[in-house]
Amino acid sequence: MILQQAFNGLALGMAYALIAVGYSLVFGILRLVNFSHGSVYAFGAHMVILFVSYHFGLAPAIILGVVLTGLLGILIDKMALSPLRKKNSPGISSLITTIGISYIIQNLLMMAFGSEKKTFPELFPSKMITIAGAQVSSMQIVMFIASVILLLVLTLLVKFTKIGLAMRSVEQSEKIASLMGINTNFIIAFTFFLGGASAAIASILISGYYQIVYPTMGFVVGLKAFAAAVLGGIGLFHGSIVGGLVIGVAEAIAASLFGSAYRDSVAFIILILVLVIRPAGLFGKKGIEKV
Amino acid sequence: MKKIVSLFLVLVVSISLLSGCASTKESSQDGPLKIAVAFPMTGDNAEYGKSFLLAAQIKVDEWNENGGVLGREVELVSYDDKNSGDEAASIAQKIVSDPEIIGVLGHFASGVSMVAAPTYNENKYIEISNTASHPDYSSIGDYIFRNNSVISSEFGVIEDVLVNDLKLSKVGVVAIKTDWGTTAGDIAADIFGNNPSLTLVGREDVLEGSDDYSLAIAKLKEAGAEAVIGVGMYSLLAPLAKQYKAVDPEIQVIGLSNAYAQQLIELGGEAAEGIIFPVSFYADSTDPAVRKFVDTYTEEFGSEPSALAAQAYDSIGILLEAVKQNGSTDRESLRDTLNAISYPGITGETQFDEIGDASKEYTKLVVKDGKFIRFSDVSGK
Amino acid sequence: MEHFTGKFNLEELVYKYRYPLGAVFLLLLLGLPYLGLSQYVMRIIIMIGIYTMLALGLNILTGYTGLVSLGHSGFFAIGAYVTAILMLKLQIHFIPAAFIAMIITGICGLLLGLPTLRLTGTYLSIVTLGFAEIVKMIIMNWEPVTNGTLGLRNIPRPSFFGIDLTLANHGMYYFMLILLFLITFLCIAIKKSKLGRALHAIKENELAASMMGIYTARYKILAFILSAVITGLAGGYYATLVSYIDHNSFTFDVSILILSIVILGGMGTIRGMFFGSILLIVFPEIARPLMEWRFVVYGLVLIFMMRFRPQGLLGWRTTLPFQVPVNAQERQKRSGKHGISRS
Repeated sequence: MILQQAFNGLALGMAYALIAVGYSLVFGILRLVNFSHGSVYAFGAHMVILFVSYHFGLAPAIILGVVLTGLLGILIDKMALSPLRKKNSPGISSLITTIGISYIIQNLLMMAFGSEKKTFPELFPSKMITIAGAQVSSMQIVMFIASVILLLVLTLLVKFTKIGLAMRSVEQSEKIASLMGINTNFIIAFTFFLGGASAAIASILISGYYQIVYPTMGFVVGLKAFAAAVLGGIGLFHGSIVGGLVIGVAEAIAASLFGSAYRDSVAFIILILVLVIRPAGLFGKKGIEKV
Repeated sequence: MKKIVSLFLVLVVSISLLSGCASTKESSQDGPLKIAVAFPMTGDNAEYGKSFLLAAQIKVDEWNENGGVLGREVELVSYDDKNSGDEAASIAQKIVSDPEIIGVLGHFASGVSMVAAPTYNENKYIEISNTASHPDYSSIGDYIFRNNSVISSEFGVIEDVLVNDLKLSKVGVVAIKTDWGTTAGDIAADIFGNNPSLTLVGREDVLEGSDDYSLAIAKLKEAGAEAVIGVGMYSLLAPLAKQYKAVDPEIQVIGLSNAYAQQLIELGGEAAEGIIFPVSFYADSTDPAVRKFVDTYTEEFGSEPSALAAQAYDSIGILLEAVKQNGSTDRESLRDTLNAISYPGITGETQFDEIGDASKEYTKLVVKDGKFIRFSDVSGK
Repeated sequence: MEHFTGKFNLEELVYKYRYPLGAVFLLLLLGLPYLGLSQYVMRIIIMIGIYTMLALGLNILTGYTGLVSLGHSGFFAIGAYVTAILMLKLQIHFIPAAFIAMIITGICGLLLGLPTLRLTGTYLSIVTLGFAEIVKMIIMNWEPVTNGTLGLRNIPRPSFFGIDLTLANHGMYYFMLILLFLITFLCIAIKKSKLGRALHAIKENELAASMMGIYTARYKILAFILSAVITGLAGGYYATLVSYIDHNSFTFDVSILILSIVILGGMGTIRGMFFGSILLIVFPEIARPLMEWRFVVYGLVLIFMMRFRPQGLLGWRTTLPFQVPVNAQERQKRSGKHGISRS
């Protein structure tokens, strides 16, 4: 029972971790909390079911969905966030703007697709595997592997490629980066594209597991994923993964001890405790700017 | 430029406020007879509001084709309560300031209905809710009616299924954490707790907005549940069945009539097979009245009507029938007529008891081969 | 029509006529119930009043001090629930009940203010968001006290000298007006006091403020407490007005609506709170056909305001004398015909 709940918690946490990576990516480069990430996540899943309903086939629909969601990320930046950066607005303006974006996307989705829960196609037939007496779905294992791959790819991209170097220099100073001949506009657009695409990948994997899609699907999960990102140290990919897993397991513990109704508050309690006790998160370095 | 824009906005607001003042009350006897329909038309529960409005409209169209009621045409006025108490309270005020409205079909959530109900009752406007299930709802006043199944009688049917048909004893309950779910969960715990041949092995309340029930399932499975009752709409029951059957294929999933919707099968897929629940309305029934409604509805909406939509259709029918029998729109006598009426609708013979609750008869349905069929056809009873 | 001959300046206009404008506004408010408005319109006006109170409360935090709270629905809920529970279970009169509710929300404000010692900006906003979610969770799960998801019903209306205040006898309206005036005067007093200047200094530059000898942590916590107390009072009034509350009345959307009012009206201004709540509460009522677009419009409001007019519709880089001492030169300019020229 305990082992089973621990596995369930890890599986839940994997979903949070997948989404949290997107928060970390955008925050790591631009020091921006992208509140619209949750609704971008819902957008990704809806694009896939839209293309599937037009008989594109599952694989092309997924690719199109990921690319379109990435483009949505760029659009958000160009329309709303980049003007704020040019005006040097305080960080809180961007946060409020992303809340506004989140409302718009969520409600447009609701108007276009309706508020009811819709079926998401199964990615592949899922089986239950028994590991040490606990049952785990093969889809959950795939989710785990996928998030580790996503983590590795993003880490390698940021740490070892030329574009990653450019991203890190933009993080240090956009002005100096542009003086060094880096096309900062492109780099920022690229970051938002990656952020959107990672949200779409997360939503496809998670919807593939639960097979449910609806416009508000990203709200609660998005907040929990944000808590996960903060817990691990926002801006750090491995921190997001560990943070997600910790929150998932904590939820499992709360559900076992107090009942399912208490489980949703766990993430928020952890979030507040971390922010008060150690704002830099588990892996963050001290002195990280808290704005 | 911006300042002109802001000045313009000030103007717009003041004009709009004043125009609100200008409306005057006029009552006429030959204009259309109005019925208000107040449901969430936007937001998370918009699917229900839209579906009920359509169902109500179909009934009204039927009456209008036959010349309306008392020689007057019937007209629906739709309001969006956004499923919020605030909004419902202000809509209720708006409705009761229109003397041509004779009654209200609404609101969706029990909590919301209960905010608005005192206003209707004070002003003698009849409110019929096709969804409210809070036990205290219908006792708010004489003008407040409920055309929805009373949960305790539904659980009575489930009890019968468990004990007599399936011969299962260990039951788990997964209830959605809303006013409705909590009430239903309490009633279930009470009924199953008092039946010596049943054991309630666990009850888990789950929050809206989360689709993962694995933690609750693991607990119930550990406790040895043989049957699990999903207290919620199809959106809870389908994923619950799917996730439970993944870890325990033998589990018997049971739902309530509120979960009876085509989406249950679409969302649940194979896992929906074998789900049993009591309904007062059965869309595949051969009854011509049911067929007529189902066909018109499906044509317009794209999917089959749920039990709740059928209750919305019947509620309008009952109200109009009462107006017809009453012979006038006098509010007090209309209420008495409504209390006395026995209406043969598509959700069975409906009659209101003294506090305004409808008594219903139930059919047991089971999902088989992607279709809802009568349980008696399968079990041979 | 001389104002339109030169450069049109709303600020000058409002400032010049602030007393007559204020008097007209006041008379209009007092006389409103006698204009023969329907109960429906009166109810909307009362809702505007409640949201103005809420916005004034958030304004102390967001407008004066520059701390953005995304969790004011939490304080709103605590105020409403404490008042309702005291009135229902202990049969206490509204005034002491609301007073206790204010104390409790104040304590919650203090607790939530403590993280400000370490956090600023976005992080703080996220903490407040988490706070509101936790409050909602407590309301849903603490059934013996809050009645869980079933909510609290039959919350009595306040009564004075044996007269029950209702919508019909306009008692609730005038009671709202009294509370609103009290809160407005409190806000004006805060703004004009040393406290107000200290908060403003923190908003503009926290480092500089602490260099000037302002104990910033203490003032920020004080701002949190004041903001929470006002919001709690509005919550208490709301509970008696609607007579039924459950957790659905206090969602994230409510927090965002309050924030939108503050932003739209003009952060740090008082007139802006009235104007913002009139706009955002009336808009959905007159735009019934646009119902579905409501939240999209809220979103657009947030985005456009942030981009084009972060100071709000009625906000301007303030030149009001009590905030920043006006030097002789500026005074000279104000007496000129075409208003204040700003760089």
